[in-house]
Amino acid sequence: MARYILGRVLSLILVLFVVSVVTFFLMHQVPGGPFDETKAPLPPAAKQNILRKYGLDKPIHIQYLNYMKNAVLHFDFGIPYQQPTTTVTALIAKSWKLTVQVGAMTVILAFGAGFTLGIYAAYHQNSWIDNATTFIAMLGITVPSFVVAMWLILFFAVRLKWLPMGGWNASGSCLIGNDFICTDWIMPVVAYALGPLAIIARYTRASVVDVMRQDFTRTAQAKGLGSQAIMYRHILRNALIPMVTALGVIVPNLLTGSIFIEAVFRINGLGRFFVTSIFNRDYPMIMALFLLIAFLWSMTYLFTDILYTWIDPRVRLGAEGGA
Amino acid sequence: MTARAATPIDLAAPRIGRHRTLWHDAAGRFFRNRLAVFGLAIVLLFLILALFADQIAPFPYDKVYYDRVLRFPFDLPGHPLGTDEVGRDYLSRLIYGARTSMTVGISVQIVAFSIGVPLGSLAGYVGGRTDFMISRFIDTMSAFPGLMFSILIISVWGGGITKVIFALSITSWIGIARLTRGQILSLREKEYVEAARCTGVGRNRIIMRHLLPNALTPILVAISFGIPAAIFGEAGLSFLGIGINDPIPSWGKMVGVSNAYVRVYWHLALFPTLAVALAMLGFSFVGDGLRDALDPKMIE
Repeated sequence: MARYILGRVLSLILVLFVVSVVTFFLMHQVPGGPFDETKAPLPPAAKQNILRKYGLDKPIHIQYLNYMKNAVLHFDFGIPYQQPTTTVTALIAKSWKLTVQVGAMTVILAFGAGFTLGIYAAYHQNSWIDNATTFIAMLGITVPSFVVAMWLILFFAVRLKWLPMGGWNASGSCLIGNDFICTDWIMPVVAYALGPLAIIARYTRASVVDVMRQDFTRTAQAKGLGSQAIMYRHILRNALIPMVTALGVIVPNLLTGSIFIEAVFRINGLGRFFVTSIFNRDYPMIMALFLLIAFLWSMTYLFTDILYTWIDPRVRLGAEGGA
Repeated sequence: MTARAATPIDLAAPRIGRHRTLWHDAAGRFFRNRLAVFGLAIVLLFLILALFADQIAPFPYDKVYYDRVLRFPFDLPGHPLGTDEVGRDYLSRLIYGARTSMTVGISVQIVAFSIGVPLGSLAGYVGGRTDFMISRFIDTMSAFPGLMFSILIISVWGGGITKVIFALSITSWIGIARLTRGQILSLREKEYVEAARCTGVGRNRIIMRHLLPNALTPILVAISFGIPAAIFGEAGLSFLGIGINDPIPSWGKMVGVSNAYVRVYWHLALFPTLAVALAMLGFSFVGDGLRDALDPKMIE
């Protein structure tokens, strides 16, 4: 096990290295930079000074090594071109909380509702709730989140005027204090959660139906165990296993999904920052955000793989005993 | 399957001489699937709109009427879906938007097929060091979110339809390559391949004549799911404002622009979102139908 994890960590480092090299060289290929002189030409000496200040006068591989040294040793990703008075790290530190808040609520809603709907649908196959779940799952899987978000806005904000059009923790929309239980949480979280919810509901329904047909469930029924006990002790525990796979599919997608949700609802989190950084050609910011996302993405895969062997002992036994 | 084998009529049917191929059976199963047929109808509709946009659309996509800015549907005769924020006919832009979406979706999958299948079959058949290199390359590429990679490429090289196709193609072939490799690996030890090898058939001919045709069906299904994924990718990039450039219409871009006007001009948001959703649903139904039709083992 330790060997397996070590190998995975090594390959993760290799991947991050490749990603950083590719991103870095791509970023430096860009036509037009932050100090373009088409509008206000700089005197050559001033330009030299600026280039030296940001280390842009050195050969590109030296620039890369400097960058990585600072990033890994001091957690210093340079100075963002859009706000030269702060650091990239400080800007990210300022805006990640909103993104994590939205993401956490989305995961809770997606898993809670998806799991419940999936179990209900499995227990009441071909009922109207089962059919409705299938329909929602189909919509959630195929229709992009920003399309769902626009529909929610059109219906609940424009037509019914029940919910605010966008924002997050906007004043006047919160029930408790200034930042707790706000009405402007509802649409972003629902639009964001629909896709993951659909995947979870589908996985859960399939695995509960599968477990219900297993011999051990029939044995439990035959020995007279109550249906509640069977559900909690036998069915749900086994149905949880595919959840880990779902987690591995969903969490990485949340990382890219936040870009769209934050754009639609004007939430000033990391995703919104990312888009403005691209428009401003802010290389240090783009580079740092990319490395962050690549890191989180590979960590999720590593984590779910380990979780998988831990939750389901059959995965380990299968490899050795050839079950 | 078992039920069919038990009936003597079906067993006898092929012997009598009626020629039944895999494709014939698959088409039969596909057309019995109502959702798949519905999806196919949607896909065909969008393909026709894309191909004949010049004839169908009432106005050119970039014709600006300064006196007809932001009109609601049926506000003016001749603009059944209204006009956009600079006074262009919205229906025409939606129709031409189908052309953008279909072009990107299909082109990306053509690239994915022509890179993924050769690389995957090479890795799977040759094995050894070649396989190791290609597999590590695939692993590294998939350790990164595909859409993020496309955003990165676009942010460096700029937007436009060819660059969007390029940016989306860069990651689209990975799944196809992995799938092809797996298929070839499982097929290459089959008896008929060994027989071909024994009779002195060359490597390329074995791959082309014996392995690929048998590996083709799951690849086709993957391609059919890849088209909506690429349409989603283009819509997403354009939605963020970094995909297709003006004045070429794109549904994603129309949704993105409409976000600023949605409080009053609801039609700007409603129609392109419906178009994106319909196209994605249509292609997904076709993909589901193809998967069920091409894999008889799925049906019990």
